[in-house]
Amino acid sequence: MSLSVTVADLRVQRPGFTLGPLSFAVPAGGRLAIVGPSGCGTTTLLRCLAGLDRASAGTIRVGDRIVADAHTHAAPDRRGLQLVFQDGALWPHMTAAAHLTFAAPGLSRDAAVALLARGGLQAHADKKPAQLSGGEAQRLGLLRALAPDPSVLLLDEPLRSVDVHQRDAMVLLLRTLADERKLTTILVTHDRDEALALATDLVVLHEGQLVEQGPALRLLQQPACAFTAAFLLGASCLPTTTSAAGVATPFGTFARPSGELGDLRLVILPGELRAEAAPGSGPTARVLTVAPGKAGFTLRLALGDHLVSAHCDTALPIGSTAHVALTTAPRLLPWQRRATPATVQP
Amino acid sequence: MQNRARTDLLSKAPLWLALLFLAIFVLLPMLQLAGQTCFGPDGFTLRAWSALFDDEAIATQVAATLQLGGAATALSLLLGGGHAWLTTRTDLPGGGWLGPLGIAPLVVPPIFVAMGFADLFPAEGFWPCAILLGVAHAPFVAVLAARGLRAVDGRAYEAALLLRGRARAERWLLRAIAPELLAGCLLAFLFTVADHGVPEFLTVKGKTWHTYAEGIFGRWTRRAVGTTFEELQSPIVAALPFLACLGCLLWAALRLRAAAPDRGVVTALPVRRLGPWRWPALLLPLGYLLAGVGLPVFVLLRWVLGSAQRLEPMSLDYARQSFQKAIDQGLPDLLHSVWLAIAVALLVVLLAVPLARQSGRRWPLLDLVAALPAAVPAILLGIALIRSFHDGPVLQRFGDRFDQSWAFAACAYAARFLPFAALTLASQVRRLPLAAEEAGRFVLRPPASRALRLHVLPLLPAVWSAWVLTFVLALRELDLAVVLPAANATAVRRLANAVHFQHEDWSGVIALLLLSVAVLVPLVPALLFGRRLSSLS
Repeated sequence: MSLSVTVADLRVQRPGFTLGPLSFAVPAGGRLAIVGPSGCGTTTLLRCLAGLDRASAGTIRVGDRIVADAHTHAAPDRRGLQLVFQDGALWPHMTAAAHLTFAAPGLSRDAAVALLARGGLQAHADKKPAQLSGGEAQRLGLLRALAPDPSVLLLDEPLRSVDVHQRDAMVLLLRTLADERKLTTILVTHDRDEALALATDLVVLHEGQLVEQGPALRLLQQPACAFTAAFLLGASCLPTTTSAAGVATPFGTFARPSGELGDLRLVILPGELRAEAAPGSGPTARVLTVAPGKAGFTLRLALGDHLVSAHCDTALPIGSTAHVALTTAPRLLPWQRRATPATVQP
Repeated sequence: MQNRARTDLLSKAPLWLALLFLAIFVLLPMLQLAGQTCFGPDGFTLRAWSALFDDEAIATQVAATLQLGGAATALSLLLGGGHAWLTTRTDLPGGGWLGPLGIAPLVVPPIFVAMGFADLFPAEGFWPCAILLGVAHAPFVAVLAARGLRAVDGRAYEAALLLRGRARAERWLLRAIAPELLAGCLLAFLFTVADHGVPEFLTVKGKTWHTYAEGIFGRWTRRAVGTTFEELQSPIVAALPFLACLGCLLWAALRLRAAAPDRGVVTALPVRRLGPWRWPALLLPLGYLLAGVGLPVFVLLRWVLGSAQRLEPMSLDYARQSFQKAIDQGLPDLLHSVWLAIAVALLVVLLAVPLARQSGRRWPLLDLVAALPAAVPAILLGIALIRSFHDGPVLQRFGDRFDQSWAFAACAYAARFLPFAALTLASQVRRLPLAAEEAGRFVLRPPASRALRLHVLPLLPAVWSAWVLTFVLALRELDLAVVLPAANATAVRRLANAVHFQHEDWSGVIALLLLSVAVLVPLVPALLFGRRLSSLS
């Protein structure tokens, strides 16, 4: 049976680092990815959810039960959840089958081998972690977490140590097993592709703060801040200066969007910039790389101190100067927006 | 919830028992000794304290001890460091075999090395004593230096080599292994200055100078013939600052060892070609092993064959008689030693596992507490234990005869050797991935089951190494055996006495049997289960 997870006003204070306050909720059977760059607090948040670390304040509920608040701190094995560790965190002295039978009391060896077979590990039942490849070890870590039939599955960068060629197989396995059990999954990752492959909802963290949250599709189509666009969509975010005349960017001065008062950036998504050898009205940039695309070429350019990508009909010489221009209306977004906490009842 | 609290408490019980043991058998006796000598009714005044340092005999003993420690450590560095460098870094013929053998001299009690030296060479004066203690304690440097060299990433060395050339790269390498090298030297120094048996043995052979440990023991034994209380206490009182210095050295050694990063899986250092020096270089490791193991064993074999008696030539017939005498007169002592060493090693690993887990994961400072007995000269620890359990206000309650018992001897030995097992295991605990233990916290099993399967089982190879190390050290311990009545009947103690009374023949047999036991214990499992001997080092 899957359970919901609700986090309300969670704060973690560490020397030199503050996480939160964070509030979000995952419904039973939901798939949430918590994303952000390294050091933004994703792993700390996951450890608090798992019960490995204590939060300084706030409430965590699993289903109807409070597992952590000012007075309660349920042990990890009392929260009804399991965690898939970054590098498997396998027990070096145990065989693959023993991992499963030890993790799930009452699970017979035959049942363990059957579960291993789901992950394509039946031939490795009697092998120890040192004899497994990185991908196999990660699959075993996943199966170990699923063996006791948890209500909630936490995943800490589950694809990080998996070979690029095995990633799809691992994603498929994870999605199949989680969907069969209708598991609530919460994933933490720094990798946009990993998040989009495994989750339907996203929480974006930056420097310990929640900057945006919502369905992955909405965040991809309409990012509310430049940081989300940069992180999820690979957008280039050029700095701007604001004056009475408007917002000055390398591509000209534009009117300030109504209601936006913060540090605005010109957000350029891949494909929204065009490069030409002939002089135009736009700024110039130095060609760094040229790669063939569907129609024409994709160029990586140095625009001042920033890296941008642009489309071009011809392959410009590397090192040459290109003239760039926007192909869409300029998109001015604040760099980071403090997300409004979701309405969550503690 | 109540059940959980109870199981949590039960899972902590081994740790509390280990701490209680440390308190009873190390901290309380040492504190009581310090208290009695400094603050008791017969305690020393500040004036008496300062007067002690005007005592020429004490000053001479301290100076002699420090000189002995310095000289022996320098030799240990030369032999142990050289052995490690040659066998780990170069294309020395047989380096793969010779490397793990670097620890072999640790199996041979220093007193046997002394016997070997004294039998073949004139072992009078300071230098012979320094040389044989340097040889006996070189394994500490050899093992730690080799470990340091194995932990250095060869790629980093090659980067230094490309950037700065050979000489700078070698200097970089020396700096990289300096913590391990220094820790090995400090341990060698510590063991040398705390040794009582070897300098005392050489006294009989004509030594004209005395170390501090001898001074302590000399005053202690005069107790029986009625010397004044102040005279009795003076070396013990003056030992306290000495002890504090040793404690600081030990702390430094531990910190240095801990500061050496555990680099996990690394690329091995590139092998250095010795060229024309390849075969001549063999002289150093072979000479080291010859002096530390070969020479004492050779002398013992000669004794068995009858070299000590001048009436008839050495013969196998005489060896048979030696064996017969050994069985008649020395076998009970040998068995006593073996059983005591087994019991001590078992007790030590039982105590060391919870201490190591706690210091490896939560309280790193516990290392220092667990290592404290190593800083106390065994002779002083023995005296402190006897005094505390014989007439101490708290520990006397264990009973009048407890300090004469076999159990007391086992506990005293365990207190002495606990540091080595605790530090070995703590280092292994730190090497195990923390995440794997955290993964265990999600397992729906009782804490005791999780602790056994996930904390103790992965430690088993290290537990075995610690057991063997303790077993060997207990088997060869002489200093405590001299002080503790129940340990007087151990083989090493009997041997040290017997050779003074021209019983070299059967003493040699017992000593060889003792060495065989010490070698067979790690060797048999290696043969049976295919364990690599190098894992013990």
